[in-house]
Amino acid sequence: MNKLAVVLYLAAVPEVVFGAAVTAEGGTASFMVTTTVPGISVKGKSTALEARAEVQHNPEGLRLEKVEASLPVKSILTGMALRDEHMRSYIFTTDDGKIPDLRFEAGGTACAPQPGRTAEFSCQVSGALTMRGVTRPFSIPLKIRVENQAFRATGASTVKLSDYGIGQPSQFGVKTADEVQLHIEFTGKEAPDTITSGGRR
Amino acid sequence: MRHAGIPALLLWLAFATHLQALPAMIRLGYVNCAACHVTPQGGGLLNAYGRSIDEAQSLREGEYNPTTNAVIRALSWNGRITEDLRFVGQEQVSTSTNAPMLALFRGRFFYRTATEFGGGVRFSATVTGENESAARPGLAYEPAVRPTPVYVTSALFSWRVRQNLEFAAGRDQLPSGVNLPDLAIYVRSRNRLGYYDAPTQVKVFWWGRRYHVNPYFFGPAGNEQSGFHETGGGALAEFDVLGHGRTVAGVNALRGTSRRLDRTLIGPYARIGFGKWGILAEHDITSRTLLDSTPATFRQDASYVQVFRAVKEWLVPGIAGERLTVQRPYRESWIAGGLQLTARLTPQFTLSVSTRIQHNQLNGRTAPAVTLQLAMKTPN
Repeated sequence: MNKLAVVLYLAAVPEVVFGAAVTAEGGTASFMVTTTVPGISVKGKSTALEARAEVQHNPEGLRLEKVEASLPVKSILTGMALRDEHMRSYIFTTDDGKIPDLRFEAGGTACAPQPGRTAEFSCQVSGALTMRGVTRPFSIPLKIRVENQAFRATGASTVKLSDYGIGQPSQFGVKTADEVQLHIEFTGKEAPDTITSGGRR
Repeated sequence: MRHAGIPALLLWLAFATHLQALPAMIRLGYVNCAACHVTPQGGGLLNAYGRSIDEAQSLREGEYNPTTNAVIRALSWNGRITEDLRFVGQEQVSTSTNAPMLALFRGRFFYRTATEFGGGVRFSATVTGENESAARPGLAYEPAVRPTPVYVTSALFSWRVRQNLEFAAGRDQLPSGVNLPDLAIYVRSRNRLGYYDAPTQVKVFWWGRRYHVNPYFFGPAGNEQSGFHETGGGALAEFDVLGHGRTVAGVNALRGTSRRLDRTLIGPYARIGFGKWGILAEHDITSRTLLDSTPATFRQDASYVQVFRAVKEWLVPGIAGERLTVQRPYRESWIAGGLQLTARLTPQFTLSVSTRIQHNQLNGRTAPAVTLQLAMKTPN
């Protein structure tokens, strides 16, 4: 009897609760850091951002669970090969000579719909960012747009190198700032066979 | 008379420098020249950071290591004196409709020096020697300056008051829009920005992360023809529109007067970079008034656009288009275009090959040219 009630309820309100594993490959992550010299800023970009999350629709909006993202350091390019080498060496190489990927993990996050826009949601995703093997709390505001079965997300935040024990790189009097501005952008797709909590659209 | 200017133009072309433009650094987020060059106007000697970039962007992609040789350190006043010798050799083959082929080799030596006296005070100079002179084209309304085999193209006393504020006085080329080193392009050759145009001047550079302001006042260089010793002032101002260091838009405004000719120039320009690509564009509007017995005011429009792509950091092809129109009574109408390929083999050796075709829309004559250039400089 209880099962029948649940089925009837879900049939009547088909979008109340359902979830899906959403994966994104080939997302874009870019950064910009100013320097002590006006007129020089360093920018870099990677198109190898991978992200994965469980997404649930509910009456309040979206709920993200088990958010995971990773970015291979070697995929980050600044437009100048030697500068890339310096960046890997000064920023991302651990004491034992390894260059681990950047990783971000977060738990549950509620994303509220944007006023007047039913397919757009925003949320503050708080979790832990691991860089050069050091893990620190990290938070990034995300804007998510749902189009058919795709989730397009963008976000921007700031990372302080000193939080990770990383000194500000310097080259012939030009020293980068401690704060690095990050911007991410990716499109994730639901995998239909990985719907985790039933329901239908 | 107007069409007789073609041979002169060819000669002028023969000494065009087709080095890949340093404004192309916009693609990497360098919004001004002061980051890499000793003088904030750009061109000339590089500072230590600029030398490291120069090395990094060459074929060998090496690290720049300042010398630790005690003798050289002593001779350079412990690094306060920067100097080099530079040679640019250029072989050009050119012709024009119904004209014979002209092959020409030109060589030009540069001695460039800058001395830091402390407290932000600096003296910098460039002295040039050449086997063939290459004055900008003489025009009916504005004759070319008098070239000399040895010429001081720059001699400046500068005072950098703060990291982003500098005053300079001496002789130098006037500030210009996209500031390309190619002196043959219309926006330069038709606006007194030729090789021997080094007016006496006082100028200020004030720049920040998103802006660059450069007012200047100038007087004659001394090599102008009688009646054309120009005095005036102007200002160049530019702004990083989107704030990402890759979209700079600016304007150069200048007013100059001489006994026989006044001119007013307004020149908007843009430097845009995206990834490996970039665009440099400038449009200069010059109004001239001849002050002879019957004053005549006429307008000149000179446009330039270049699209380049850094295939490799050291290998940059580009394509450029130009247009020049001059109103009556000195009516002219030219279009030009060309391809260029620049290869920075090492910081000391840069090889470039370029083509340029000019077409005179009034008489239908076309003047193609191919240039091979090798630029060499001593390490510093």
